[in-house]
Amino acid sequence: MPLHDEIIKIKAFAFKNWIMTRRNFFTVLEILFWPVVGFLSVGLLAEFASFQPELKAFILVGVVSMGAVQVCQLDVSYALLYDVWSKSLKHSFIAPVGIRHMLLGSLAVGMIRGIVVFFILMGASLWLFDFNFMIAGAGPIALFMFGLFLNAAVVGMLVCILVLLFGNRAEVAAWSLVSLMLLVCGIYYPVTILPGWVVAVAKLIPLTYFLEYIRRFYGFEPSFSLVLAKGYSMVFAYLVIEIFLMKAALGRAKRKGILLKLSE
Amino acid sequence: MSLAVEMKGVRKTFISGLVSRIKKEALRGVDFSVPEGVFWGILGPNGAGKTTMLSILANLLKPEEGLVRILGEDFRTRSMAILRRINFSSGHANFLWSLSVRENLEYFAMLYGLPGNRRKRKIEELLDLFELEEFAGVRFDELSTGTKQKLSLAKSLVNEPVLLFLDEPTVGLDPDVARRVRESVQRIHREKGVTILMSTHNMKEAEILCEKIAFLKEGIIKAFGSPRDLKEELRLGDTVTVFFRGSLSAPFLQRLQGVYNFEVSDSSCRILVDDHRKRLPQILDLFVSNKVLITDLRIQETDLEEVFIALAR
Repeated sequence: MPLHDEIIKIKAFAFKNWIMTRRNFFTVLEILFWPVVGFLSVGLLAEFASFQPELKAFILVGVVSMGAVQVCQLDVSYALLYDVWSKSLKHSFIAPVGIRHMLLGSLAVGMIRGIVVFFILMGASLWLFDFNFMIAGAGPIALFMFGLFLNAAVVGMLVCILVLLFGNRAEVAAWSLVSLMLLVCGIYYPVTILPGWVVAVAKLIPLTYFLEYIRRFYGFEPSFSLVLAKGYSMVFAYLVIEIFLMKAALGRAKRKGILLKLSE
Repeated sequence: MSLAVEMKGVRKTFISGLVSRIKKEALRGVDFSVPEGVFWGILGPNGAGKTTMLSILANLLKPEEGLVRILGEDFRTRSMAILRRINFSSGHANFLWSLSVRENLEYFAMLYGLPGNRRKRKIEELLDLFELEEFAGVRFDELSTGTKQKLSLAKSLVNEPVLLFLDEPTVGLDPDVARRVRESVQRIHREKGVTILMSTHNMKEAEILCEKIAFLKEGIIKAFGSPRDLKEELRLGDTVTVFFRGSLSAPFLQRLQGVYNFEVSDSSCRILVDDHRKRLPQILDLFVSNKVLITDLRIQETDLEEVFIALAR
């Protein structure tokens, strides 16, 4: 498969997500409204409760990261959901494209949207709550953000797999899976305060390690060792596994007729 | 002649319900081959398995059993190579609602890996071929049903397929738009030499477009042939009604070749023949030689609708 051909197919998915994002009001809300509302609520709560600066930093890092992950994850899920909602899934799957094209194309748009959200909230943190995200330095922030987006891709792919397995009923996962991560991965509190079995679950989620990694730069010692290495190796392993799982889910959807049902 | 489609013993069963597992056999051992370069149709009543059959051929469904080869290759080992050379268009066209006609075509052209300039040229060509230029910038959800259908056909040609599957391409269209869509489909086949396999409910459409027809019922192919072959096979034939003056005795009609049935009354005679073009001269000769004066003559050709009804029964 020539590289040029691969790039065009990846661009196709980016093109679709980009235009759909531009033309739909609710996707603008996803970038601006919900992340900003969430950020302001938590930030104001921190002000009201007169949290110490480190505590405030801990929470703001969590909430900003969550906003970026959520937006990017939705884009990866949308690669499939837009086709499901428009009932054009069969047309996309009759084309000679692979899961890698879908993942990379939608992730590219998700990263752009995630970066926009991240920078909006980073600016707001400085302006409203006097918290400078950039003291961690550009390098660590870039490493952290890339990890966040790959984690978002893992969640987005999981949504696609669930939709192919269970049909329309599973699309709710696009919004609920991230909320579950909010509970488990230490967005608002350190994972060490959680019960043992929840900590075990948190250890299986790369976001936990990426948050631990970046919070180190704001004065919090990580609870785990080698956080960045663990986060990245886990996220890449999950993506590879998910590509195989999605192939299997697609094969099952073709055997069970789910692919056609999703196009009706 | 090489085969565009080859199906052998293809079976497909759908199972629904979690507790009481309801099984529906959509295809029950279909054997079917389509040579390259033809325009053939699949006819059948609702639930006969037409869409299931086309979906299997387009790799949107997997059969439990049987062999499916497309353009001489197997989806299990060469799916990408096959998908590059085939395409699919269905009635009730659905595409991304926020994308315009041009953007939808662009998206699909990119999915097939068409590079920039070639993609642009192809899109312009398709917009022109399907008279879609004036709608190029219109969002899909603002298009009329007919224009959506044209877009669906245009999309199915972005990769210049050698084999095209059309699933009820004119369903839900008003007669004028349906006629224009039929003309477009005919032009694609004639000018581009694309092999077309089309499912339809519309008998006239099948008769006009398809060289041969497979009649599918309850998941098996009940009959196959040209519209005329099917009529002959079912002995439906054509009806010749002769109005006369004088006396006519029934036995001499029995001597005619190709007569399936006849009814004689005082002043008219209804004769069911295999092919009126072949039998009419003999019929007229018979009346003239028996000195029976013909006052009127009516011919009613059996159309595919009657074949459909006879087969669907």
